Amino acid sequence: MTRRMKTTLGWLLLPCAVAAGLVTWYVTREPASPFERTQVAIDDPALVSRGEYVARLGDCVACHSLPGQKPFAGGLEMATPLGAIHATNITPDADTGIGSYSLADFDRAVRQGVAPGGRRLYPAMPYPSYAKLSDEDVKALYAFFMRSVQPARQPNQASSIPWPLNMRWPIALWNGLFAATEPYADKPGQDALWNRGAYIVQGPGHCGSCHTPRGLAFNEKALDDSGAPFLAGALLDGWYAPSLRADHNTGLGRWSEADVVQFLKTGRNRHAVVFGSMTEAFNNSTQFMTDQDLSAIARYLKSLPGDPARDGTPWQYQDEPGVAQLDRPGAHTYVTRCASCHGMDGKGQGEWMPPLAGATSALAKENASAINITLNGSQRVVAAGMPDAYRMPAFRAQLSDQEVAEVLSFVRSAWGNHGPTVDPAAVAKLRDHTDPASSSPIILQMR
Amino acid sequence: MELRINGAAYQVEAQADTPLLWVLRDDLGLTGTKYGCGLAQCGACSVLVDGVVVRACVTPVAGVEGREVSTIEAIEDDPVGKKVVAAWVEHQVAQCGYCQSGQVMAATALLKHTPNPSNEQIDAAMVNLCRCGTYNAIHAAMHALAQGEKA
Repeated sequence: MTRRMKTTLGWLLLPCAVAAGLVTWYVTREPASPFERTQVAIDDPALVSRGEYVARLGDCVACHSLPGQKPFAGGLEMATPLGAIHATNITPDADTGIGSYSLADFDRAVRQGVAPGGRRLYPAMPYPSYAKLSDEDVKALYAFFMRSVQPARQPNQASSIPWPLNMRWPIALWNGLFAATEPYADKPGQDALWNRGAYIVQGPGHCGSCHTPRGLAFNEKALDDSGAPFLAGALLDGWYAPSLRADHNTGLGRWSEADVVQFLKTGRNRHAVVFGSMTEAFNNSTQFMTDQDLSAIARYLKSLPGDPARDGTPWQYQDEPGVAQLDRPGAHTYVTRCASCHGMDGKGQGEWMPPLAGATSALAKENASAINITLNGSQRVVAAGMPDAYRMPAFRAQLSDQEVAEVLSFVRSAWGNHGPTVDPAAVAKLRDHTDPASSSPIILQMR
Repeated sequence: MELRINGAAYQVEAQADTPLLWVLRDDLGLTGTKYGCGLAQCGACSVLVDGVVVRACVTPVAGVEGREVSTIEAIEDDPVGKKVVAAWVEHQVAQCGYCQSGQVMAATALLKHTPNPSNEQIDAAMVNLCRCGTYNAIHAAMHALAQGEKA
């Protein structure tokens, strides 16, 4: 190699080396926190109690605890396409938890997804939403975890993602593209109630984690109301989290603000009862919100316009006379298995048994929720400490794939419902995925 | 709230979402209606509300306020119910008997609406479970009733 060639090569390599250095710095740095060297009075009872409320808004416990284990000690397994990861111990234990975190460390983890030392968290932790938390709420949350949560010695479990896919630094680049970076700022022209609702929904409530469709990089397609896909409904973990926009059929178009408040406070209203992954969110989070905050959420959600092109012909109730005598496939199964609760007229029973006439699960193109609840039933809904009196039973052992497909196709075509018919193969697939003994079960319960 | 059961009025104090079955059995002592599965799957708790068979274990009591509830205790006050019970005796349907009050209610409801049901209609309506397996005897009794035979 001539000297000249070497020089040229050197000049070519230099920018590469500089770029590599910059990237290395970017992906391993600890981003700035407004709390560097800030001390916080974690003994302030008002701050701790505010922090506890923020933890309720954020539903931290749903992922960071396992049933029967110490609160916030972690352990929930989340399957990703690459392997399983586990929610971590966020009790203030110094060795295995976050006891050694400063406020700035805690802030970086919660709002930016960066652990001490610059290690990136997986965005299964909803920091793209938590980024919108206010400084005050982060401080309060820190005080709550440090002061009020009992330390639990429980080492975190390693992920089963193999090298080189388990390298975390590329997540920093993902964050640069897809995560929010600033705390929520009140939108001018909207009142305080609306802004409070927007803050809870976009920020701590992280509603979009389930209800906003995701892009190719598993990123939420919108993190606030400036994007039409925001809360437009998404398929996740074998459930369809419906639209929370004003869509007549598949969203909140037919709900009043009072309906939204009642649903989040008591778990039920005349349109629906919580089921699927929402049961967790209700049991651990929404029912503990203040009436004022629930009104704020309702005000905000009801301001999000629907999309008639996506939503289809507006549903209207149509009578279905003589259901008991129908010989349409699925009708007899409906009469014998479903009608006792949901009614011959499909209207359910008040707020206790949800109607199937006009139900989102019967109108949405996606049929996962309808199949899943039929096969596996509903989880226990606990409102104000009282378990629900009525629960959807599991029909996994009683109905074949064909029978489930037929009865759901019937439900999706009766009383003015116009959801697409259900194919037995779709039932078979979800039956397998939701069977704990299956070779490919759905483990991740995104909450 | 006031409930009308078997032609009588009862004052009951219950939460709106209490299953009708518990009000009948625990509050009013009408224990002829049985608890089976609690999930509307077996039919042991069948009662009639305005002449339609419902499963009392999944019927919030608030939903039957102002409506006419009939239970097994008064079934022989109903001409159709009386015939059903007679046919049940004639065909010696019951074995352990636990599910039979629900079976009789389901049979009565069917015959009130469809006095001469076809075999298919009988099969479609008589779906309550029986662990003794008295289905053949039930079918024989129903067949006789459908033919209008004097039991």
